[in-house]
Amino acid sequence: MYESLALKIAGIIVMVLLPPYLDGIARRVKARIQYRRGPPLAQTWYDLRKLFAIPTVLPTKSWMFKAAPYLALASALAAALLLPYGGHVPVNFGYNIIVFFYVVAMVSVFVMLGGFSVQNAFSHLGSAREMTLLLTVEPILAVVYGVFAYNSGSLNLYHIMTHLHLSASLLFAYIILGYALYVESGFVPFDVAEAEQEVIGGPLAEYSGRLLGVFYYAIYIKRFALLWFFVSMVTYPIVGPVHGLAKSVGLFALQLLLTFALYPIIAALEATNARLRIDHIVRTNVKIFFIGLGILAMAFMGW
Amino acid sequence: MSKSAFEVEVECECEACEKGKCDSADLVDVLSEREGLKEFYEEFKDSIHECRRLTYGQYLFVIDRDVLPEATLWWHNHPRFKETHMSTAVGTDERAIAGKFSYMPLINVQVEAENMDRNFWVLLKAYMPADDPSFPSVAAKLPAALWIEREVKDLLGFRPIGHPDPRRLILPEDWPEGVYPLRKDMDYRHSPMREPETEFREPPEGTTTVPMGPFHMGIEEPAHFRLFVKGEEIVDVDYRGFYSHRGIEKVGEGRLTYNQVLFLAERICGICGYQHSVSYAMAVERLADVDIPDRARYIRTLMLELERIHNHLLWVGIAAHMVGFDTGFMHAWRIREPVMWLVERLTGNRKQYGMNIVGGVRRDILDYRKEEILKVVKEIREGTKKFLDIALNTNTFIKRAEGVGILPYKIAKAYSVLGPTARASGRRIDARLDQATKTAMAYNEVDFKVPVYKEGDVLARVLVRMDELFESLWIVEQLIDQMPGGDIMVPIGKLPEYAEALGFTEAHRGEVLHYVMTGEKNKVYRWKVRAPTYNNLPAIPDMLRGYNVADAPLIIASIDPCYSCTERVQFVDVRTGRVRVLTEAEFNELSIKNRGVF
Repeated sequence: MYESLALKIAGIIVMVLLPPYLDGIARRVKARIQYRRGPPLAQTWYDLRKLFAIPTVLPTKSWMFKAAPYLALASALAAALLLPYGGHVPVNFGYNIIVFFYVVAMVSVFVMLGGFSVQNAFSHLGSAREMTLLLTVEPILAVVYGVFAYNSGSLNLYHIMTHLHLSASLLFAYIILGYALYVESGFVPFDVAEAEQEVIGGPLAEYSGRLLGVFYYAIYIKRFALLWFFVSMVTYPIVGPVHGLAKSVGLFALQLLLTFALYPIIAALEATNARLRIDHIVRTNVKIFFIGLGILAMAFMGW
Repeated sequence: MSKSAFEVEVECECEACEKGKCDSADLVDVLSEREGLKEFYEEFKDSIHECRRLTYGQYLFVIDRDVLPEATLWWHNHPRFKETHMSTAVGTDERAIAGKFSYMPLINVQVEAENMDRNFWVLLKAYMPADDPSFPSVAAKLPAALWIEREVKDLLGFRPIGHPDPRRLILPEDWPEGVYPLRKDMDYRHSPMREPETEFREPPEGTTTVPMGPFHMGIEEPAHFRLFVKGEEIVDVDYRGFYSHRGIEKVGEGRLTYNQVLFLAERICGICGYQHSVSYAMAVERLADVDIPDRARYIRTLMLELERIHNHLLWVGIAAHMVGFDTGFMHAWRIREPVMWLVERLTGNRKQYGMNIVGGVRRDILDYRKEEILKVVKEIREGTKKFLDIALNTNTFIKRAEGVGILPYKIAKAYSVLGPTARASGRRIDARLDQATKTAMAYNEVDFKVPVYKEGDVLARVLVRMDELFESLWIVEQLIDQMPGGDIMVPIGKLPEYAEALGFTEAHRGEVLHYVMTGEKNKVYRWKVRAPTYNNLPAIPDMLRGYNVADAPLIIASIDPCYSCTERVQFVDVRTGRVRVLTEAEFNELSIKNRGVF
């Protein structure tokens, strides 16, 4: 009982504090690839602290402009709360893979709504790109989740993770899951929505100060949640059902370790790529969606 | 200088004759020096009033203003001289000398690619009466003239009759009508104002306007592209620039000597400053007819090439940054840095070398520094090879650059697009070898290739520049190897009065052109600067049309635009000493308030 509570609290602490540090790691790794020293690991936190302290310039009277960052933050936190931390899920209920699917999407939706609430061509362009990105990547995720759900016979995240059985379709599903989560996170070849040189920050163009900080924070947490989801999907089926404090803590540590290990890889991918154009991404995503359908069919066939 | 119309028909002169060096130069001789001149003379015999050889490979025709379009097009579209282009034009307020205004297109005639002894410059000067400064426009048929005709309209009040787009180009929105800053009776301290009025083009139906600029992250300097888009596709583009035009011309007016203008020339641009400085020095040396020592020519060439090397590395970094490939950006600039350190050792400055002087260079290259130069060259070559290996194998980078921003050969030629941008579209031009640079630089004594690509997309522009970079490294090695000894400068002495000549180099962005007309007492009466971006920018809308908003920053950056070059110093007019200016009919009432005398 206490053990479960302790792990849930630890999980919440991690999801609140860790994401900006992960960004710090990415910045450091990128800097090293570019032969620079790079900023301290806590730099992203310093940036956020500064942004939180600066009042926002309001370019519009729309309430959506003010509400969107907080709603995005709430969605991102909600997504993170649905994931297991050392075998214990802070908020666990029925068919929560569908909830997870859609709260993650809601972060993008609120970024978009924030962008559309101001009269700015770049905001609108960026938001339109975000929407295109969302509309092409969500079907892929839906199909992949379908494979997992079918494979494990459940729509509950934790239940899925602990009841997967090995098959060819599952392995392919993992590969596509990795891709889709990377795209959804908006890392470099896919950061078209915020592309600084093209649409000067896209939906975030008109944001400043505290509201901008909240948006950034929400995006970091969303990225963390997606990565944590992937890490959990990898670790839980291997480790199996969790009983006892030692195993829980060990699993939690393993999750953390894998997260730390994967982030530099993501950073390296970011550093060695140029940004794609939205039409490139759409084309790739459509292709992958159809491959996903094939894999879903494979799963139904029992392969 | 100015001859009345009837006396000149038959008479032609060359500078050599005046100095008594040549006894038999006459019309026939001058015209037979280069191919095409005689043909041109026969064609326009009735309208030509005077023809002269200004200096080696530069021919001036004084013609009637009515035939300006035909004469310009005759050269530009000459079937045998394929790469001939109208480089720019010069408008001059010659009322103090000839009582008239003059407008003069400058044409770069290419008889044979890369043969500086057969190609030449043609200057077509047309006089216009002081009370009616107008001339028939050629811009409708020759887009290369679009900007320059708008420019002389803004700055000198000439009227290009039949110009398709006579909007304001250079002067700011709050500048009143009827005040022409480059006329001699306009005081340089005077800055009149009115209510700002913008003249933007109407967007095409069904499009949204995306304003790129006046300040935009993707374009480092102020420029205003208005993209008319449908979704993400660019349908049309409107451009308004010249926000950094500040008329250094008038600041220098009446104060600077010809050697001081040289240092002003170097400050036109932060990147290709030395190119401007050499071009200006060359123009003055040509009109004074002095030959500079060989060692000076070699040192100049060395500095020019080092400048090209670091600029190309800088540019490729920016191009990578534009598509979000920051690793490429950082590494390109890291590789570039040793060149900056090297030129600092050689000249004392990272940029703005202050190395030049009319008649030679100011600092010698010490012999023990040669090793250092060779070491840096080797480093750069290896570094760049590695860099290209990585960049050209980055799939996402290639995907963004390939097949984007295509500039067809025809458009490149019509707009007189220059430099690597033109060479990536298949134009075989390079002012280093095409025109007689041998008086000021040593390109005729080194061996190098001019890379030309046919694709015309952004990737081709990357490749052209990278090939050029390796050629430049090779040139530097040859220069070090062949560096002759001897003096590094010759004194110029007194400049001839009201003589004209052109100076030019091939900067990293294309041909830099300086036109100088001397005044009295070793001063400059008229100085016209044409940076290559001035010709490349008007072609941008054609490159953008049909592509994505996402491609716009990369396409714009791909011509390596330099707004400060193009805009800051369109012209610099420097007037002689304390001469009282004639008060003409157009004498501006506001400038009377400012004493009108300077």
